[in-house]
Amino acid sequence: MNTAAAHPVAPEEIMAFFDGELSAADAQAVAVHLDGCSACASLAAQFRGLSQSLAGWSVSPVSQKLEEAVNNFADKAVVKSEGRIPYAPFRFSIWNWRLWAFGGMSAVAGVLLLVCIVFLRIYYEDRPAQKPMAMAQLSRNNGEVAAGYPPPQPAKSQMYNSLAVPSRMTTRAPGGGGASTGAGFGVIGGMVGDLSGKTVAPMIARAASLTITVKDLTAARVSLDTMLARHHGYSAQLTVESAAHAPRSLTASLRIPASDLSNAIGDLKTLGRVEKESQSGEDVSQQHADLAERLKTARVTEERFRGILQQRTGNISDVLEVEESIARVRGEIESMEAEQTGLEHRVDFATVDLQINEEFKEEINSPLASFSPRLHNAFVAGYRNAAETVVGIFLFLVEYGLSILIWIAIVVFPTIFIWRRYEKARSTM
Amino acid sequence: MDGTIRKPGAAKSADEGSDEELMVAFSRGSRDAFDELFLRYKQPLFGFFRRRVADAAQAEELTQESFIAVIRASSRYQPSALFRTYLYAIGLKILGAHRRKAAFRACFTGTPDAYREPAALGDLETEYSLRQAVGKLDRLEREILLLREFEQLSYAEIGELLHLPVNTVRSRLFRARQALHGLLAAPAPSSSVEQARIEERS
Repeated sequence: MNTAAAHPVAPEEIMAFFDGELSAADAQAVAVHLDGCSACASLAAQFRGLSQSLAGWSVSPVSQKLEEAVNNFADKAVVKSEGRIPYAPFRFSIWNWRLWAFGGMSAVAGVLLLVCIVFLRIYYEDRPAQKPMAMAQLSRNNGEVAAGYPPPQPAKSQMYNSLAVPSRMTTRAPGGGGASTGAGFGVIGGMVGDLSGKTVAPMIARAASLTITVKDLTAARVSLDTMLARHHGYSAQLTVESAAHAPRSLTASLRIPASDLSNAIGDLKTLGRVEKESQSGEDVSQQHADLAERLKTARVTEERFRGILQQRTGNISDVLEVEESIARVRGEIESMEAEQTGLEHRVDFATVDLQINEEFKEEINSPLASFSPRLHNAFVAGYRNAAETVVGIFLFLVEYGLSILIWIAIVVFPTIFIWRRYEKARSTM
Repeated sequence: MDGTIRKPGAAKSADEGSDEELMVAFSRGSRDAFDELFLRYKQPLFGFFRRRVADAAQAEELTQESFIAVIRASSRYQPSALFRTYLYAIGLKILGAHRRKAAFRACFTGTPDAYREPAALGDLETEYSLRQAVGKLDRLEREILLLREFEQLSYAEIGELLHLPVNTVRSRLFRARQALHGLLAAPAPSSSVEQARIEERS
């Protein structure tokens, strides 16, 4: 079967002829060729001989046991379902790869679930202690005392002792005579009252937010400064943004005397078109009272320590310990005083968050004018990104490379080993 | 020995009905139809497994499993293809599953079953030589050769079963026959059956 010229019939066609896979015409052509070609006839004889050899590979008859098993199953299936045979249940075998896959996934899911449960437990262990505090803070913000969630500070009645109430908490009722003494406070409906029935004005920290659109931001800025001077306020923070191809904007946090807040807001609204406005007030009376009480207690403690230091004698270590305690209490007192001052400042000066946006009209500019520097910047950024990527990969490999190699040794090599054994075993079957 | 090579579907008489008709009848509840199908195919299907699996008991088990699969799936049977092809497709799937399980088992337990049981000891030496020679063929070519020589499937049926084009089936079959011819023509090193017995003893 060397060339197509010598043998117009391909060897595979002779095989197909032998297998009866050719059409009648092709079979006729091959038969004619076989009559005249000894080489091809020899090939056909080879196929025939091979088939005869294989025919010697006989198989023993089917056992009676197999016949009975299949017939029993068929009987049951036909009798039970009248020809509609249901699927049989899953057959358990530890060598079923699906079982292993399912088991593996279940194990992973179980571990994840366990991790979640442990995480949630750890997370919620901290929550119960925070919840009452949060609720108490919320109730203070609403100016009410929430039932069932008492404030966490101990000795509530002592905290409302009027000795610690600052001047702002004094009674405004006629005949109150300034600071009340020896009476506890209750906070109801935003008013602070003592147990003797007198009421005090609440301490409200007011805040407002305004978003205004103006035609000229520069003019608005000048007007804003004038307005602040007129109302004796000041700007705690001010930012002006003037990005290219974007509207200019001013963001400021203003402090305005609380008594003049309404007038100031009215003036601010004249700057331009008001887009958004909101106002709020936070009752910090109780917070202030708590702070004052803690401050008072700390001062008393400090005085006691000082008395001990002056009157008692002892060894050096005792003296040093008392001095350390005095220093610690003094630090706490200063911290609380600063907090108290800040709280009072919040009440005295309302906070106005102001945002002024300028009406924006985009100008037609040729992008080519700025193309060169942008291209340069893009190249620089691209180079930096590429360098950072390379450095990042290098650092990652330095940091985790060894761990990755260890994991490869632990996971990948055994997997490859098992897979090769699996493939080898399959190839022999 | 009932190992004759013949097409089961072709041997039936005209009034027995085709395999496909019998299967449809069985799916409608005819127990006799299944008896006839089982009679026709029990030996060919057992031979199919027996020539591919070293252990006769396993071959019987796989045969039983295949017929049970046919019974289970009978309600969904559609006579769109020859029943013979359908049956051998089931057989191939079950054989593949068996081989996967055996290979998976061999990963942990050592040598696969095929090595532990080299041949049916006591069989003729010719049979053992054939089994050994066929076992040395490429896996796909061996499958094509066996389907053609023993199950007597056409090239198109083999292509359908193995998801191969007919031309590929033909060329692979040609190569398999050439290779097998070469293997059978090569002189055996010693008495194969005796060697198998020595292996079994060791």
